[in-house]
Amino acid sequence: MGSAILSVRNVTKRFGGLVAVNRMSMDVRSNEMLGLIGPNGAGKTTLFNCITGVYKPDEGRVFFEGREITGLPPHVVVKRGIARTWQKVRPFKKMTVLDAVTVGALLKIPSVESAKERAREVLEFVGFPKEKFARLGSEITLIEHKLVDLARALATGPKLLLLDEVAAGLRPHEMDTLAKVLLRIRDELGVTMVIVEHVMRFVMNLSERIIVMHEGVKIAEGTPKEVASDPRVIEAYLGTKPV
Amino acid sequence: MVKPVALLGGKSALYSIIAIAIALALIPLVLGYNMYYVYLAAQVVLVTIMVLAWNIIGGYAGQLDLASSGYMALGGAVSGLLLAFYNVTPWLGMPLGALTAAGLAFLMGYPTFRFGVKEVWYALSTAALVVILQRVFWLIYGSTEIYMPIHRWSWYHLRFSRYEPLYYMLVVILLVTLWLNIRIKNSKLGYYLTAIGEDELAAEALGIDTRRYKLYALLIYASILGFVGGIYVNLTSIVSFRMFDPWLGIVVAVMGIIGGLGSIAGVFMAAVILRTLEEYLRSMFGATIPGIHLLIYGLLLIVVGVLKPEGFAGFLKYFRRRLARGGSGG
Ligand SMILES: Nc1ncnc2c1ncn2[C@@H]1O[C@H](COP(=O)(O)OP(=O)(O)OP(=O)(O)O)[C@@H](O)[C@H]1O
Ligand SMILES: [Mg+2]
Repeated sequence: MGSAILSVRNVTKRFGGLVAVNRMSMDVRSNEMLGLIGPNGAGKTTLFNCITGVYKPDEGRVFFEGREITGLPPHVVVKRGIARTWQKVRPFKKMTVLDAVTVGALLKIPSVESAKERAREVLEFVGFPKEKFARLGSEITLIEHKLVDLARALATGPKLLLLDEVAAGLRPHEMDTLAKVLLRIRDELGVTMVIVEHVMRFVMNLSERIIVMHEGVKIAEGTPKEVASDPRVIEAYLGTKPV
Repeated sequence: MVKPVALLGGKSALYSIIAIAIALALIPLVLGYNMYYVYLAAQVVLVTIMVLAWNIIGGYAGQLDLASSGYMALGGAVSGLLLAFYNVTPWLGMPLGALTAAGLAFLMGYPTFRFGVKEVWYALSTAALVVILQRVFWLIYGSTEIYMPIHRWSWYHLRFSRYEPLYYMLVVILLVTLWLNIRIKNSKLGYYLTAIGEDELAAEALGIDTRRYKLYALLIYASILGFVGGIYVNLTSIVSFRMFDPWLGIVVAVMGIIGGLGSIAGVFMAAVILRTLEEYLRSMFGATIPGIHLLIYGLLLIVVGVLKPEGFAGFLKYFRRRLARGGSGG
C-alpha cells in the first residue's frame, strides 16, 4: 500500500507554441483515488493522452509499476493495465452496448462467448440498465454512454483507470450512484483511479488526495481541504471563472 | 469445441446460406437454354464475391478500399499467364494468384497503416494502386490480349465449351466467402475489425493493435480476390491490361456501401440487384444511353445516403421490424 503504481516525471507536451503540459510530475499511489482538477485548458486531458500513448510526450518519462511506458502505443499501454475513458465520448454507434463492452473484455478473454459473459457482468456492475444491453450505441443518451465507456474500459481488466469527466452532466442523485460504483471498483476490484472532474463536490468527496493543474503546471497537491484553501488554487480558479 | 452451427453464426445464417446455395444452383437449369444468361449469372456471382470480400476490409474494418479489381486482376493475370504460356493448371494458378495478391496487399497495407493513411487518402491510394498495376501490365504486355487455350471440356485447364462449370465453381467460392464473412463477424477478429471501423482511437485504447488487424483484413480480402481472379480470366478467356479496371474497384465499394456497411444480407442483396440491373440497363439502353448504369449507381448512392444511411441493411431491418410488429400486433 502507498507505493507509486504510476509515476509521471517532468512530462512536457507542446502544440505548436502552446505548452499544454509543462514539466509535470506526479505519483499515483496503489489503490488510491486521486483527484486531478484544474480550470479549463489546464492540460488534464493532454496529460492523460501522454500517459496512455495517444500523444508521445515531447519531454519527460512515464513509469507504470516501475517499468517505463513513455511513448508506447495505446494498445500496449492498455495491455500493461492502464485503461481510460474519454471526455469527448467515442461511442461505437453501430454496435450494441453489450458488443461494445465485449470488445474491451476480449483483451483478456479470447473466447467471444466468455467475453460477452464478462461484458454482461461489468455492465451490471457499473449499474447500466439490463434492458438496454441490446441497444445500439446510436440509440443511447450521452449520459448512458458515459457509463458504457466506463464499462468498456473496466472490461479490459485494468489495474489503473483514468477517468476523464465521467460525472459531467449527471444529476446529483446519479452522481451519488456513480460515486458508489467507483468506490466499489476500487474496493472490490482493487483498481487504482485518477479522476479528472470539474464537479468539485464529486471529487472532493471521493478523493483523499488531489492534484491541481493550471496552464500545464502542477500548482498544488494535498487533501481536499488543503487544496481548497490554497491561495494559488483559489487564484487559478478565480482568474478564469468563479467557483 | 464449438458446434458447426454456432460457427456459422446461428441457425438462421446456416439456413440462409443453404437457401442461397439452392437458389444459385438452380439458376443455370432455368437459364441454361441461353448461354449468355449463364455467363451473366456468373458475372453477378463474381461481383457478389468481390463485394463480400470487400465487406471484410470496407464493411467491418471501415477502410474505403477501391483496389478490389486490382487484386482480382493481378491474381487472374498470374493464373491466366501461367496457363497460357506454361500450361500450368489454374488449380495451382489460383492459389498462386491469391498469394501474389496477398503479397501486394502486404506491400501496400504495411506502410499505409504504419503511417496512418486514412479515409479519403486511403481511398485515393488504393485507387491509384489499380491504375499503377494497369500501367505496369501495359508496359510489359502492351495492349495485346492474351487468350486462354481452347479446350472443349478440360478440368485440368478449367476450359469448357459451356459456362456452367465455372459458374458452379464461382457459386462454391461465393458460399465460402459468405461463410467466412459470418464466421469473422462472430469472432474476436470481427469484433476488433468492427471496433476499428467505428473509432480507431477508441479501439486502440481498448487494446486493439489496429495496424495489425487492418492488415489481417486486407490480406484476407486480397487473397479471396486473387484466388477468384483465376476463374475470372477463364470466364472471359482473356488476360489484358483492361482487367485492371479502376472503375470496377469503385463499383464494388459502392455496392458494399449501398448494401449497408458490415451487413451480410444487405451486401448480398445489393450486389445481386445492382449487377443484374446494370446488365439489364446495358442491354436495353447501352447503345442509346451509354453509361446509364453509372447514373443509376450515383442516384442510388444519393438516395441511400439521404434516406437510409445503413443502406439495404437498414431497409431490411426496417422491413423485418414492420413484419414483426404486424405479426405480434394481432
Ligand atoms: N490536439 C490539440 N491540438 C492543439 N491544442 C490542443 C490539443 N489538445 C489540447 N490542446 C490545448 O492544450 C491545452 C490543454 O488542453 P486540455 O484539453 O488538456 O485541457 P483540460 O485540462 O483537459 O481542459 P478541460 O477541463 O476543458 O477538459 C488547451 O489550451 C487546449 O486548447
Ligand atoms: Mg479535458
